[in-house]
Amino acid sequence: MIGRSHFATVALVYGKELRETLRDRRTLFVMVLFPLVVYPLMSLLLAQVMAGKASKNAAHASRVAINGTPAETAPLRKMIEADHTDFALQASGDNTDVELGRLDALIVIGGAGHAGKTPAAVVFDETRDFSNQARDRIDHLLAGALPPQCQPLYAVADRSIAPGAKVGGYLLSKVLPLVVVIMVMLGAFYPAIDITAGERERGTLETILASPVDRFDLMTGKVLAVATLAAVTGMLNLVSISLTMLEGIRMMGGASDALRIPWTRTLAALTMVVPSAFLFASVMVAVGAMARGFKEAQNLLTPIYFLCITPALIAGLGEYEMAGVALVVPGVNVTLLARAIVLGNARIGPALAVIASTLAYGGIALALAARLYDSERLLYADDQRLTLRDWLRRLLFGASDGKDEGALARGVSAGDALMLFGLAYVLLFFVFFPLQARNLEVGLVASEWGGLFGLVAIYARLTRQRLGAVLVIGRPSARALLGALLCGLSAWVAIGLLAEWIAPPPRELVESLRRQISPPGGRGLFVTLLLMAVTPAICEEALFRGPILRGLATRLSPLAAAVLTGVFFGLFHFDVWRFLPTGLLGVILSLIAWRARSIVPAMLAHAVNNGCLVVLAQLGLDERISTWTSHSQAAIFVASLVVLAAGGALLATDPATPAQRQRA
Amino acid sequence: MEPATPAATGVTIENLTKSFGDAVAVGGISLQVAPGEIYGLLGPNGAGKTTTLRVLAGILAATSGRVTLAGIEVTPRAHEAKRRLGFLTGTTGLYARLTARELLTYFGRLHGMDAGTVATRIDWIARTLDFTALLDKRCEALSSGNKQRVSVARAVLHDPPVLVLDEPTVGLDVLATRFFRDFVRAERDRGKAVIYSTHYLADAELLCDRIGLLHRGRMLAEGSPAALRAMAGGASSLEEAFLTLVAALESGATAPAPPS
Repeated sequence: MIGRSHFATVALVYGKELRETLRDRRTLFVMVLFPLVVYPLMSLLLAQVMAGKASKNAAHASRVAINGTPAETAPLRKMIEADHTDFALQASGDNTDVELGRLDALIVIGGAGHAGKTPAAVVFDETRDFSNQARDRIDHLLAGALPPQCQPLYAVADRSIAPGAKVGGYLLSKVLPLVVVIMVMLGAFYPAIDITAGERERGTLETILASPVDRFDLMTGKVLAVATLAAVTGMLNLVSISLTMLEGIRMMGGASDALRIPWTRTLAALTMVVPSAFLFASVMVAVGAMARGFKEAQNLLTPIYFLCITPALIAGLGEYEMAGVALVVPGVNVTLLARAIVLGNARIGPALAVIASTLAYGGIALALAARLYDSERLLYADDQRLTLRDWLRRLLFGASDGKDEGALARGVSAGDALMLFGLAYVLLFFVFFPLQARNLEVGLVASEWGGLFGLVAIYARLTRQRLGAVLVIGRPSARALLGALLCGLSAWVAIGLLAEWIAPPPRELVESLRRQISPPGGRGLFVTLLLMAVTPAICEEALFRGPILRGLATRLSPLAAAVLTGVFFGLFHFDVWRFLPTGLLGVILSLIAWRARSIVPAMLAHAVNNGCLVVLAQLGLDERISTWTSHSQAAIFVASLVVLAAGGALLATDPATPAQRQRA
Repeated sequence: MEPATPAATGVTIENLTKSFGDAVAVGGISLQVAPGEIYGLLGPNGAGKTTTLRVLAGILAATSGRVTLAGIEVTPRAHEAKRRLGFLTGTTGLYARLTARELLTYFGRLHGMDAGTVATRIDWIARTLDFTALLDKRCEALSSGNKQRVSVARAVLHDPPVLVLDEPTVGLDVLATRFFRDFVRAERDRGKAVIYSTHYLADAELLCDRIGLLHRGRMLAEGSPAALRAMAGGASSLEEAFLTLVAALESGATAPAPPS
């Protein structure tokens, strides 16, 4: 009897807790759905960037020189000359060339032999990836240099010429920049929650809002406090890591020339903590300002934390140059600058660009935080337009009673848009991608019609909305269609060139896409157009320019909703190299759909855009673009922008029909 | 005690409306509170009391209408208005890890007071509200009654001409409530305009000079406690008067006009 009573109590509490938690839509979204989106995204991002880097490294021909008598070096010289892919043999060189990076490695042949082998010393710089790669390639080559007796011809000895301080700096540069980002963020995490969401939970929000203090001043004070705590955390960690490393060296036998800590440069790298702390404190306070409680803030900030770490991880692990776009990519740029400072190769111009852009991002995040710390939203937010309960009930059981008909008849909300994106994202990653890997054609049809269009159709049915209304399929004007046609004809050129200039995709990706469009076994142009132009145009537009754009527009301005829809569209293509072009295309298509008040013109533009790419790839004309001179590219880019602008102008001046006005 | 600072004018609310999306929380109310007067804002939960007071405090923006506080219009000059306002709610929290003195100094400085003035005012207000011995204790270590004393001190530290008190006696025991009531009367006598919102009708009857009854975002009736009882056909208490007036409104009868 007692046992049953305990069981009943446990069951009662269990049921209540589960019911209450499941009714918290944010908890479900952030704790369950969001991680399903964030972690695949992180792993893809990391894997693709690292693969791109590995591919770039592999394509680099090692610059080597050989020193020794002609008789001793002749066999090796012949072998190296024969391998054009891996080696670029230089006429001459010495240790200084290796030291200054003009050579990746130097092979010194000669000296006293042993057991019939010719001594070969490989001089390299262990603090440079290309030099390490050259050493590995030479070692591999020399080990394979077998005379008829099958004994190795050379006795190989590797010799790094990097001084101890450089090696110490190199090792430190692998750890320290990551620590700058990770520890600074960790240091900002709880203070950011405490001073934003915590303020509301403690009941001090009203008091502070009733005080004569400007909201921007208030948030600036809060951000600076969080930044200070984050910076102190970061600095303490850096000092601790350096001292730990020093102790490690001492335990290995004392400080020697082989490994020394470059203290001055390490201290200089500490300065990077300051802009990083400001940026991450601003971002975290901005996110925390959106939360209405400690728990919600924690849920929101955890995925942000992991997303912010990803670029730092990428920059920290790979051997990237601090130049070009990397200077302004948040997270990546500070990591690279901290590394460059420790390695002693930081330059003032790029360093200023990194610091200025980081502070600018921090300032933007701070301004956003001040806007988001809105008393009306925090005190009276009510975004329960379609409650989770309603959503799940409709999803699981359908609607049979008319009780919440009113709730269901009020269109797509921003929450619905996020939920649909999350569901489609998870479905695509976990279900349809594996299907596409098995059979591309079947997988594509299933994911587009089932995962995207089908999802929208199910959503419309469960929420008792007309599919046409959810999709916003109105009859567009001829002017809107013409505008969309011009956009579709020009967007791929402008976006393609822009992506080529800013972040050129690796050769492997281009080849892979080409194989998809034009497989070796052949696939007719008509079928390919249906599969890769018409189908995505209908299904992707149905989801993105339908409920997602509409839902986001209930909370954001049309432009902001279009940009966010574009970002989602870019993320949806699961490829770091394609994020920029697909994201930009997504923004353009969203603006077309918004201006035309119908997704039909967006479908047309999408179909034309993809159709052009398919035709070019099938005819093998796409490769010619890379052979154009920079002047030709610039001229074509400008021409495509003119056509795009003409299309945009037609759409912008398209008057709304009475039916469209009524719908609006 | 320091000399009182008489308010230039009290509080004027003209045709105030406040909506949240489609929901109308306050549907066009008007009222006036003179310096040296305690005005009770009464009504059931959801009547629009807190929303009205938050608009008055510049925390929320009015959808339409005009709110003037000590001669300053709140919407365009929120900062100046806030300097003339002492705002206190029953759910007001304190920064738990600060001492009472640190907390009061923080808010005093936010109100633009210099360090010397703040220190003097803190000593005076702590003596008046009888918590001098607690000034250097952390707020988290204070009892509910003492926390409320510190909250009151925070609200009146800058000696504002207008006090807005929203359910200020929630959770207080009888002695603390009595002490608080006496303090509010003393502030009224120093020339402050006081708006006092509560749903403890007995509390309001004892304290308020005039009362506005809010129901569903609208002013149901306004007058002195005696006048309101008379309006409800000679009700024996304010509670009975309120119930009679609400019942009359619900049944569609026109609310009786206040006696001239």
